[in-house]
Amino acid sequence: MASVTISEVRKTYGAVAVIHGVDIDIRHGEFVVLVGPSGCGKSTLLRMIAGLENISAGTIAIDDRVVNHLEPKDRDIAMVFQNYALYPQMTVAQNMSFALELARVDKATIRQKVDAAAAILGLEPLLDRKPAQLSGGQRQRVAMGRAIVRNPKVFLFDEPLSNLDAKLRVAMRAEIKSLHQRLGTTVVYVTHDQIEAMTMADRIVVLNAGRVEQIGTPLELYDRPVNRFVAGFIGSPAMNFIAGTLEAGQAGLKVASGAVIAVGPYPAELVGRQVEFGIRPEHILVSDAEGLDARVDVVEPTGSETHVVVDAAGEKLVALIRRRLPIAVGDRLSIAFEEGQGHLFDAGNGQRLALEPMDV
Amino acid sequence: MAARAIGSNMRIQALLLLGPALVIYVVFAVFPMLDVIWLSFFKWNGLDPVKVYVGASNYVDVFTKDPVFWVAFRNTMIWTALSVVIPPMIGLGLALGLNQPIFGRNTLRAIYYLPVIIAPIAVATMWRWMYDPFFGLFGQILTSLGLQSWVMDWLGNRDIALYSAFGAYVWQSVGFSMVLFLAGLQGVNRSLVEAARIDGAGRWSIFRYVTLPALRTTLTIVLVLAIINSLKAFDIVYGLTGGGPAQSTQMLALWAFTQSMQIFDFGRGSAISVVLLGVTLAVVIPYMRWTQKREETTE
Repeated sequence: MASVTISEVRKTYGAVAVIHGVDIDIRHGEFVVLVGPSGCGKSTLLRMIAGLENISAGTIAIDDRVVNHLEPKDRDIAMVFQNYALYPQMTVAQNMSFALELARVDKATIRQKVDAAAAILGLEPLLDRKPAQLSGGQRQRVAMGRAIVRNPKVFLFDEPLSNLDAKLRVAMRAEIKSLHQRLGTTVVYVTHDQIEAMTMADRIVVLNAGRVEQIGTPLELYDRPVNRFVAGFIGSPAMNFIAGTLEAGQAGLKVASGAVIAVGPYPAELVGRQVEFGIRPEHILVSDAEGLDARVDVVEPTGSETHVVVDAAGEKLVALIRRRLPIAVGDRLSIAFEEGQGHLFDAGNGQRLALEPMDV
Repeated sequence: MAARAIGSNMRIQALLLLGPALVIYVVFAVFPMLDVIWLSFFKWNGLDPVKVYVGASNYVDVFTKDPVFWVAFRNTMIWTALSVVIPPMIGLGLALGLNQPIFGRNTLRAIYYLPVIIAPIAVATMWRWMYDPFFGLFGQILTSLGLQSWVMDWLGNRDIALYSAFGAYVWQSVGFSMVLFLAGLQGVNRSLVEAARIDGAGRWSIFRYVTLPALRTTLTIVLVLAIINSLKAFDIVYGLTGGGPAQSTQMLALWAFTQSMQIFDFGRGSAISVVLLGVTLAVVIPYMRWTQKREETTE
């Protein structure tokens, strides 16, 4: 177990800066997920922790020891790669023992550690196979086994599930999480998949264009995104945004079509301000009572829930309905926003606006 | 019906594309090969309308009555043994160096490859001048370094002529294996190198456990081509020494040519060619079988 302290870390390639001063404190035994869209710098940051990329400025410390200039092997980390990176000519056992053999650990100890890791991951029957004879999920487990055998202070995962099919991904997600709970080792995990981030992380770091947008627990990010980017990135289907101006007298939000939509109470000082109102799909209610008139454009049943795309006051909104309702394309519905569940963001800089009455 | 029509249509297209080449290969490669085997059982001077069937006597003569054949055989074996070791090793070294992000590496790649595109006979002419003991480059360099006693008649001395000729061959052939290795190096998985670095592998271990295994297919190709090219070594030796002095650089291919075209004993020349073909197949086929088997077991 170890802490990882990332302070003011920057990465530049020539004149191009890709990471602009990132600060993250990862605690002992924590499972931290770095998430963000392609090109946000999450993998670069992970590779800097691993020592595979130079750090242009700032420091990275593992357990108070600055590792900036240490070789990857001296950082006491282990990494699991997206494409598994198993040595094709070696058997599973040889892949797992390679690091220990390089470190000249005695044969008996190696054997014991490999067997222990194989037992944890259910790899015993595969120890004599070559990687090419394994399925994707098995290879991924071998890659994890190779990491476990070294008993590192920190596990680094670089999009480890991206090459697996959807079903296996869900299974491996649970496996990695239970492995973490069992070993208690600090984990830094990179993914572009926000569901992976939400389901696995103790804390999530949302990165965008080389900057940290927000750090928090999955539910903090979900319930109180600090800006429009995080609000839109976390959650699936994504949060709905409606741009407009807040009218006086709590009348609501005046949208592009000229209609005024009721969005719940908001502070008087925001009146006249250009904002974006955000509402998650599950907080749009199909009500029998008086509400906003909406036309159904698309119906997507998933079984457990139904996603309904509606057009209300000229705005496209996605509603998530768990009840079975007889809804068809072209139907007219009356919708309402669940009280206290809306978010307001500044239309200019996208920052969350302090909203006493609406904040949860 | 439609599927069959399309299928036969594609077969016809394939035949149309392959047909002309097939005709050319049969006429200019398969037929001469069979003709050489046929000829090796006759006595013929290349001009007479009559070829005399002599059975296996050309082979018997070659093996028992021709001391030059055995010199050529020995030289060809030495040449081949050196060829599968030295040029590929230098080529691999150059490829590893030129695979690093160094300044001017594309220019350097072009420079090292340049000798490959020069005609071997031109290479031979160049090197004959450079090896000249009085006016040649090597003599001049050694003299200016005060190592006059090291200057030798590189191509005139029976003990070293073969190795001098081989020097020119190395210079010409290194670029070829370098290019093949460079192509192979592009297939080395970067994350494997990184995984090995994290596992604690140093430069040598990364080379040994990541780079070399990834180059195995390339290595097979390079070695097979090196064997084939060196067994049929002809033009560079012909241009440099013509097989001399005193047959000390005689090679099988060159001796087959000399027997046919200069001594006008086409039967015996053909017999030597057939022996050379047999040697080549005897070396290359088991090697390819073995590498194929090895690849299958790792996959």
